[in-house]
Amino acid sequence: MSGVNLRTMGHLVVQYRLLAMLAAIAIFGGFTLDDFLTANTLRSILDRAAVVGFLALALTPLLIAGQIDLSIGSIMSMSAFTTIAMQPFAGSLPAAFIGLCVGIAAGLVNAAIVVVLKVNSLVATLATLLIYASLVLLVSNSQPVSSTDPMFGLPLTSTMLGIFTPRSMLFIGAALVMFVWLKATPSGRTLYAVGSNLSAAVSAGVNANAYIGGAFVLSGLLAGAAGVLQALSSATGSPLAGSVLLIPAITAVVIGGTRLEGGRGSSLATLGGVVAFGALTTLSEYNGVPSYTQAVYTGLILILLITLDKVASGGEGKTTRARRGARTTPTIKARNP
Amino acid sequence: MSGISKSFPGVKALRGVNLEVREGEVHAIVGENGAGKSTLMKILAGFYHPDEGTIEVGGKRIEAMSPREARDLGIGMIYQELNLVPDLTVAENIGLGAMPRRGPFVDYKALVALAESVLKELDADIDANMRLGNLSLSQQQLVEIAKVVARKPGIVVFDEPTSSLGEKETRILFNVIKRMRAAGIAVLYISHRLQEVMEIGDRVTVLRDGRNIETRDVAGITPDEMVRLMVGRELTEMFPKLDIPLGDVVLDVSTLSRAGEFDGITLDVRAGEIVGLAGLVGSGRTEVARAIFGLDPADTGEVKLRGKSVRIRRPHHAVAAGIALVPEDRKGQGIVPMLSVRENFTLPMIGRLTKAFLVRARRERALVQEFADRLKLNPPLIERALGSFSGGNQQKVVLGKWLLSKPSVLILDEPTRGVDVGAKADIHQIIGEFAEAGGAVLMISSELPELLAVCDRIFVLHEGVLAAEIPRADASEESVMRAATGQGVFA
Amino acid sequence: MTDLNPAARNASEATVRTAGALLGVVSIPLAIVALIVLGSFVSPSFLTVRNLLNVLNAYSAVGLAALGSTFVAICGGMADLSIPANVAMGALVALGAQPLIGPVPAACLGILVASLGGLLNGLLVGYMRINPIIVTLGTGFLLLGLSQLLIGGGIVYAEPSAFGSFVGGTVLGVPVFVWVFLLVALILHVVLSKTPFGRWTFAVGGNYDASATSAVPVRFTKAVAFVLTGMLAGMCGVLIALANGSARPIIGSGYEFVAITAVVLGGTSLFGGRGSILRTLGGVLIMALIGNLIVLIGLPTPSTGFVTGTIVLIVVGVDAYLRRRLGTE
Repeated sequence: MSGVNLRTMGHLVVQYRLLAMLAAIAIFGGFTLDDFLTANTLRSILDRAAVVGFLALALTPLLIAGQIDLSIGSIMSMSAFTTIAMQPFAGSLPAAFIGLCVGIAAGLVNAAIVVVLKVNSLVATLATLLIYASLVLLVSNSQPVSSTDPMFGLPLTSTMLGIFTPRSMLFIGAALVMFVWLKATPSGRTLYAVGSNLSAAVSAGVNANAYIGGAFVLSGLLAGAAGVLQALSSATGSPLAGSVLLIPAITAVVIGGTRLEGGRGSSLATLGGVVAFGALTTLSEYNGVPSYTQAVYTGLILILLITLDKVASGGEGKTTRARRGARTTPTIKARNP
Repeated sequence: MSGISKSFPGVKALRGVNLEVREGEVHAIVGENGAGKSTLMKILAGFYHPDEGTIEVGGKRIEAMSPREARDLGIGMIYQELNLVPDLTVAENIGLGAMPRRGPFVDYKALVALAESVLKELDADIDANMRLGNLSLSQQQLVEIAKVVARKPGIVVFDEPTSSLGEKETRILFNVIKRMRAAGIAVLYISHRLQEVMEIGDRVTVLRDGRNIETRDVAGITPDEMVRLMVGRELTEMFPKLDIPLGDVVLDVSTLSRAGEFDGITLDVRAGEIVGLAGLVGSGRTEVARAIFGLDPADTGEVKLRGKSVRIRRPHHAVAAGIALVPEDRKGQGIVPMLSVRENFTLPMIGRLTKAFLVRARRERALVQEFADRLKLNPPLIERALGSFSGGNQQKVVLGKWLLSKPSVLILDEPTRGVDVGAKADIHQIIGEFAEAGGAVLMISSELPELLAVCDRIFVLHEGVLAAEIPRADASEESVMRAATGQGVFA
Repeated sequence: MTDLNPAARNASEATVRTAGALLGVVSIPLAIVALIVLGSFVSPSFLTVRNLLNVLNAYSAVGLAALGSTFVAICGGMADLSIPANVAMGALVALGAQPLIGPVPAACLGILVASLGGLLNGLLVGYMRINPIIVTLGTGFLLLGLSQLLIGGGIVYAEPSAFGSFVGGTVLGVPVFVWVFLLVALILHVVLSKTPFGRWTFAVGGNYDASATSAVPVRFTKAVAFVLTGMLAGMCGVLIALANGSARPIIGSGYEFVAITAVVLGGTSLFGGRGSILRTLGGVLIMALIGNLIVLIGLPTPSTGFVTGTIVLIVVGVDAYLRRRLGTE
């Protein structure tokens, strides 16, 4: 049947998308640009990926738990602005800490709305997306602030060990820590259970609300971290810092292979997705592709991948339903004349 | 458990059931669909609280327990439906909720060791590190059992555990149960398969109509006796049967198959005839009905209407061909609760009730009101949201909405489930009138007396294949039950 | 819930139900009256015909998108976040194509292109059954990028035309925007409440499976709701572009939220099965009055977003609570 073929093909594309993308970018970049396949490019890709990377990491545990946070871009803007705006009053390091706290607070609000008020996370965080974004525009009077201590964040983007920068190392470190947490600790494993089969988790005595709420707070913290990093390394606190990064972050996560329906994914996959997406962005910029063209293919990739995911997983629902009437051995086959 | 009663709105599910399970015995529970087995089990698992009666576990009296308390008391449940996490490994599933840890990490060595020891105990050849979703269904079932066994329960309840197991896995399961029995665990074993009960059970309790009819030693009872005890009830409701002359074959289904669900189904229904489709839950009855109606189209096979082959891939093909389906799951598939009675009524045929694209409101109202009166809708308020009506009246609307579109074939899946006696009689009358007017009816019901009283012929399904076709004259509860439980055919 | 006394439960349920119904009926007119009273206290210029017409005029275009969103919400498609992209598409195409084919055909082309954007959403949501929020988030990003790509990322100016000045003008003292909005609202009200398609829309949102079992073309119905929203977003863009004489890709930014808020404020559930065009009309009116009040009080523009988001949260929270109490979810 053609449906089956389509499904297996979808499966293949879904499975190897990361490799395929990276290979395609490397080949295309190598051919079109002389100095693309260099350590320098890799350093630049990793460095640039750090901010979107933290946003993508913010989404990862939530998606695994079967939820979503659309407000991460706005949270990032709040944290970015706060980090710079607080510098004259609190000092640079405490200001960065306050920036993170803003992220946590925003995450707590999301958690409360979803877990206590039981509002669907898509709608809840859509509303807080707007609220947080407006809030930071109101406070900032829609104007970015410049850092009073521009030297403080400068080292974040300096070269380390050839291909890294402190910023990219923070991101990669965070991804690795999250990987260990998700894969090797009881709470990490339980998070998968909550997203994969909520009723099985609850019947095994898991407090699912605590896990979902916790994932929202963590998401706020990591989105805050993205904002702090972005603000410090650019020495500017823009109230719009994160507004255009939501879709790239979602796209990076989806490229990595984390499922939007929950239960599957890993932060290493997200790391891979972020790097692949970053490579694509860098390649585009080296080739002088305007940002709106990048938006076009970002959107295309996102839609294509979620559609393929849906096609590839289309069979799963049927097997579970089929088992109601499942049988193994046909017994007596007889009819009355 | 003694004197357990439980009522749901409109239904008395359990009426003073007594049940006593001893340490180290396998106690089987048998009964027809709807006899109260699953309600009893849900009470034992802490999901329902009994209205009356008491539960004692190990001499301790328990008032009302939550599912978690039931588990802590050492009651383990193994359901027909799997309750596992496909994206975790086998070992993680077994340890979910209480994973051993070393420092902040999962102690995988201990976890896998635990899982392996339990799986070995079950004699199950399953790699504890496999992703659960990659296992076959029967292997998953064994993991489900392992999950319960790992908690060292004192009482284990099996609810139709073999429904998705092959011959080999069933053997393994029986060995497991025997080992549990030897270890002093009390096992409650619910099954439709009487031969299994004969093989594994020590004692058997027969439930019927929410009462325990008898508890006997398995050694002193035959499957035939069990069947008689299961079905032998007096008729409390009246099912009038109209004498309708049969016409030509209207619905002719031949070798309809759908992988994993049903195989080679051939049946026919004549004009004016009411044909029953009997079988136990999971025998494929509902699936056949859904396939004929195009909800889950069959893989192979043919459907003919009045001799003409029709291709039905989606419900509106069926509607266009004149087939209607009253689905089994009224709440999930039958009604749109927020819409009014009128809007629900005309939903399948609203496209035909128009003039210049607009719904002919006055005609719609008149039509629906007339039908509502004929169906004795109570209260007869057609503008009220359907969700606020009783189950019986909701069912009348679901039936009525299909009659309104004047089908030639009416497929009914459990048309009187959860419906009170008065509404039931009304519904039977409606079905009878439909047949009298030359309609063909295919009716699925778990209630044998209902089928026996109403049907001209009964097809019996067993595990997805036709086990028997029984004409009215030869149909009895025993003959249908024997075919449905896979005990050979006689008629 | 099973251990609750059924009689008591029925009683409390009835109370909640009645309270909910009552709230649903009187709250919109009440809110409008309250806002008008409040407005006349805040500023003497508030309660003048000119100001009120201006208020309505300012929200008529985005109101069109809200009307489409009503269908999306009722059929269980939650929300269309690609509205700004389709607004931009409509606007840019309508102005960009003017020199080639003339103003009126260009306007139609703009609406057509935006409808195609809606069709993409409709196919993905209705036929592929992918989550509508994710789909429209993605298509919005894509289409907005595409619209910028189309014009190379700048501004497009309109050629002065009779059609352009007609759209920006008034008829019988009432702005053309308002006429268009009210006319479309009237048509869609009839479609939603009096045609089979309207009935299907409610049924699909009320119980998808039951509708499929009743032979309702469920996928088609969902898809059409998104096509309609794309079309109306395009119309919104065309109107604004013609009236302003210029268009840029950010022309509709934030409109998705205004549309969602208007729908939700009116009492249409984002989770399907309940709602009406009249309610959305009320919602748009309330949004317009709130927006006007914010300007008159002198609050900065972003407060609108803050107020809007908070309203959505409150209304959706109450809706979730009521649904849980009534056990319909």
